[in-house]
Amino acid sequence: MNKNSIDLSIDFCGVNFKNPFLLSSSPVSNSAEMVARSFDAGWSGVVFKTLNSDTVPIIHPSPRMYGYGYGRKKLVGLQNVEMISDRPLKDNLADFLYLKKKYPGHVLISSIMGFSNDEWAYLAKASEDNGADMLELNFSCPHMAVEGAGHHVGQAFDLIEKFTTTVKECVSIPVIAKMTPNITDMTEPAIYAKNGGADAISAINTVSGISGIDLDAIVPTPNIFGLSSNSGTSGPVIKPIGLRFISDMAKCDELSLPLSGIGGIETWIDALEYILLGASTIQVTTGIIHYGYDIVEDMIEGLTDFMVEKKIAKLSDLVGKALGSLKTTDQFDLKRQGCSVYDLEKCVGCGQCYTVCKDAGGFALEWDEKKRQPVLIEDKCLSCMICSFVCPVKDLITFKEMPENWKREDAVVMDESLKTKIKYEPFKNFIK
Amino acid sequence: MDKRFDYSQAAAEADRCLLCHDAPCSKGCPANTDPGKFIRKFKLKNIKGAIRTIKENNIMGGACGVLCPTSKLCEKECCSSELDRPIRIGKIQEFLVRYGKDIEFQVFEKPEALLEKVAVIGSGPAGLSCGAELAKKGYQVTVFEKESEPGGVLRYGVPAYRFDKELLSQELDDIKHLGVKFECDCDIKNPGEAEELLNKGFKAVFIATGLWDAATILSNPPDGVYNSVEFLLNSHTEQMDILNNEVKNKKVAVIGGGSVAMDCAGLASKFQASDVYLVYRRSFCQMPAEKDELFDTLEDNVHFMILNQPKEYIKDQDGRLTGIKLIRTRLSDPDGTNRRSPVEIKDSQWVLDVDLVVEAIGNKAFDNSNDLYPDVDVDDKNLIKASLDDCQTSNKAIFAGGDIVRGPSLVVNAVQDGKTAADAMDSYLKKGRTNNE
Ligand SMILES: Cc1cc2nc3c(=O)[nH]c(=O)nc-3n(C[C@H](O)[C@H](O)[C@H](O)COP(=O)(O)OP(=O)(O)OC[C@H]3O[C@@H](n4cnc5c(N)ncnc54)[C@H](O)[C@@H]3O)c2cc1C
Ligand SMILES: Cc1cc2nc3c(=O)[nH]c(=O)nc-3n(C[C@H](O)[C@H](O)[C@H](O)COP(=O)(O)O)c2cc1C
Ligand code: SF4
Repeated sequence: MNKNSIDLSIDFCGVNFKNPFLLSSSPVSNSAEMVARSFDAGWSGVVFKTLNSDTVPIIHPSPRMYGYGYGRKKLVGLQNVEMISDRPLKDNLADFLYLKKKYPGHVLISSIMGFSNDEWAYLAKASEDNGADMLELNFSCPHMAVEGAGHHVGQAFDLIEKFTTTVKECVSIPVIAKMTPNITDMTEPAIYAKNGGADAISAINTVSGISGIDLDAIVPTPNIFGLSSNSGTSGPVIKPIGLRFISDMAKCDELSLPLSGIGGIETWIDALEYILLGASTIQVTTGIIHYGYDIVEDMIEGLTDFMVEKKIAKLSDLVGKALGSLKTTDQFDLKRQGCSVYDLEKCVGCGQCYTVCKDAGGFALEWDEKKRQPVLIEDKCLSCMICSFVCPVKDLITFKEMPENWKREDAVVMDESLKTKIKYEPFKNFIK
Repeated sequence: MDKRFDYSQAAAEADRCLLCHDAPCSKGCPANTDPGKFIRKFKLKNIKGAIRTIKENNIMGGACGVLCPTSKLCEKECCSSELDRPIRIGKIQEFLVRYGKDIEFQVFEKPEALLEKVAVIGSGPAGLSCGAELAKKGYQVTVFEKESEPGGVLRYGVPAYRFDKELLSQELDDIKHLGVKFECDCDIKNPGEAEELLNKGFKAVFIATGLWDAATILSNPPDGVYNSVEFLLNSHTEQMDILNNEVKNKKVAVIGGGSVAMDCAGLASKFQASDVYLVYRRSFCQMPAEKDELFDTLEDNVHFMILNQPKEYIKDQDGRLTGIKLIRTRLSDPDGTNRRSPVEIKDSQWVLDVDLVVEAIGNKAFDNSNDLYPDVDVDDKNLIKASLDDCQTSNKAIFAGGDIVRGPSLVVNAVQDGKTAADAMDSYLKKGRTNNE
């Protein structure tokens, strides 16, 4: 099998995408000039920046974002208080026509958000009439202060159903409902969207959060002339949350709608993780804010190489492939236990493993001062593996399974004699 | 010489990359290896893609990663230098190419060789790069090599401690995989033989024979005096043990201040000479070798005898070398250049006792090299005249590149010449095809 035999195209609600990689609705999809360049770079479609209907003036706060860094790493998260599109509707619709004319093979998805039933209908119709191939209903913008808009809708499930129904009644193109993660269970609102007629679900929008405080001003970031707000976090830090919601929905039989995965995707590996957990298209914003449109080249190339290696020719064969192993914790085989393995040939002697094992693990390491090396006492290893997370050398610390009869030592009790003095009665469960 | 990067180090270093717009490092690479792109790919975990970018652009990407004087090329342009220090591009490149082998990643599909037969003379980096590119385009390529194994300077020049044959074999395997055929032990040496290939079914020829004659400094060298070409060559053949014995525990002087001199001095030191002297007639900062080469050589315990001009060899009754007569020099008055000439200081002659001398003052073309290709114009140094834009010689079907055109140059320049020539040969042959239709 070689590169040429790989098919990255995918059917999503009856619409064909050349590959699963789309721009999500945000500044990266703000105008046709930008979107056209992204298509040239290799993105197969766009969810255009959420339209507004020119009824209320949209003015973005300034500054409107804040980069959340960790050590050397910049933008592991991004905080934003941006509103929906501040462009006149006519400009956006003219851009739709331009894109459809210039890029007929690329998919144009119009993201809309209304402040009333009529406005949802109006924007949906205007989008369809001007060439949108699909709609995405933004039930999830965290910066809308008005009740009945943005993620306030996403949190009021009957409104999701109502607005979806309204939109479905006035257009014939497929409709995606975009969900907010600022709830506990996403399958429930997703089912409301389905009942309203939604053809697919996309998730997640930004996670409500505060990423820092400007300590000179004592104002959280971004500091908007002395004020701030609980606002939307995106980027790599939210990937675990996005993956969780996508997998929840993918496993929900009652829902069974196509899913578009969003949240913290930068590399082909991130994208593949979403796909393996049930997404059949994926959308990106912060990855592009960090690196630009060219990252799609690496997504396409990396995913293709992976599929060649695994001898999987069609992308659709990967969708949901990891779901089977995703169970509740009570189903784990707890009889099987393991411990860490140290390949000390590679050790550079930093001792971070020793520190963390002592202070946060099973105290299963001793420190050979002369050699500056850890000495593992297998019987005390909890297999938490935290040592391997801090070790600077690749594959120095790995995991192995122990024989069935192996038993881990209990943690030490400092003074056994104190056991005679404890106030204690064994717990009896009276509720049967 | 510092250690190779392992995966974690290479990834951490790539992570420092700023992923600059319009990457200046990529512009700094003479062979368009495109570090800006392969580092981005690596950083975004598209590691096979990164290896692909290197190898598709530069079939000798591994060799270049090890041997390129990066501080004068890609790394010189690195924007990170403004923050702290440049990204170690060469080391990342070397890592990626080697890693490709570890994960058994085959970059190239085997192309179908349906086009004309073409010949390449010489299997140094220029010949290898040209052969690989032509094979990718679908030509049937034969490389003729006078030595018993391919590689040119990479195999018979650069000392083994600086460049390992394993990496060379790996890159040769890629080239063989592309369908390039090698005819080794095949010295194209008879008058006109290079041009005659055109009558033997080859539709175009690329000459990349390099520079294998050594410039000499003192006439009538006694036994015990080597030139750099034979000294290094012997270190790569079955002569190695004999050479090692000749050097071990002896006093060795290397004459010259360029990269080749540093290699000879380094090798003598690795062969456990009791003392290695580097004799150079100008001052330290006039030495043409790269800064890191100079410092590596100092670390090899080589004694730098700068501002000394060799005058004459001293020998014993049996005609064996016992020493070398030197005269102290000073630099001529400042003239605004870095090439102030050495002026001998009167009556300052002295004798340095040595058992062995290596003259390493430069490689040149053999005086009779033009006999092989009498139709091809050469200059007064016997270098072939060809424009670097297309590598075409005065004979339209003959192309040339690498050191035999440029004079002593770099691996990466030879690679680029091979690429340029392959494109030009392709256009030339295409034209011939349409004319025949
Ligand atoms: C000791 C040494 C160290 C160097 N170190 C570096 C370095 O660290 N970094 C760097 O970038 N560059 C270095 N260089 C320079 C670099 O090696 C050369 O610029 C490069 O090898 C030139 O490539 P080429 O293909 O033109 O020629 P070569 O590498 O010289 O190859 C020419 C080939 O043609 C063969 N040949 C010659 N005549 C015939 C014939 N008549 N028939 C058949 N085959 C023939 C030769 O045997 C040889 O294999 C070094 C050079 C030397 C000598
Ligand atoms: C600055 C900014 C503006 C955004 N604007 C919108 C928007 O108008 N409509 C929308 O549906 N989502 C919007 N989003 C959310 C993104 O589309 C996406 O769901 C979220 O950022 C998570 O993906 P990421 O981690 O790839 O950025 C915005 C995100 C950012 C960072
Ligand atoms: S990225 Fe461009 S638009 Fe944004 S603040 Fe910087 S200069 Fe201004």
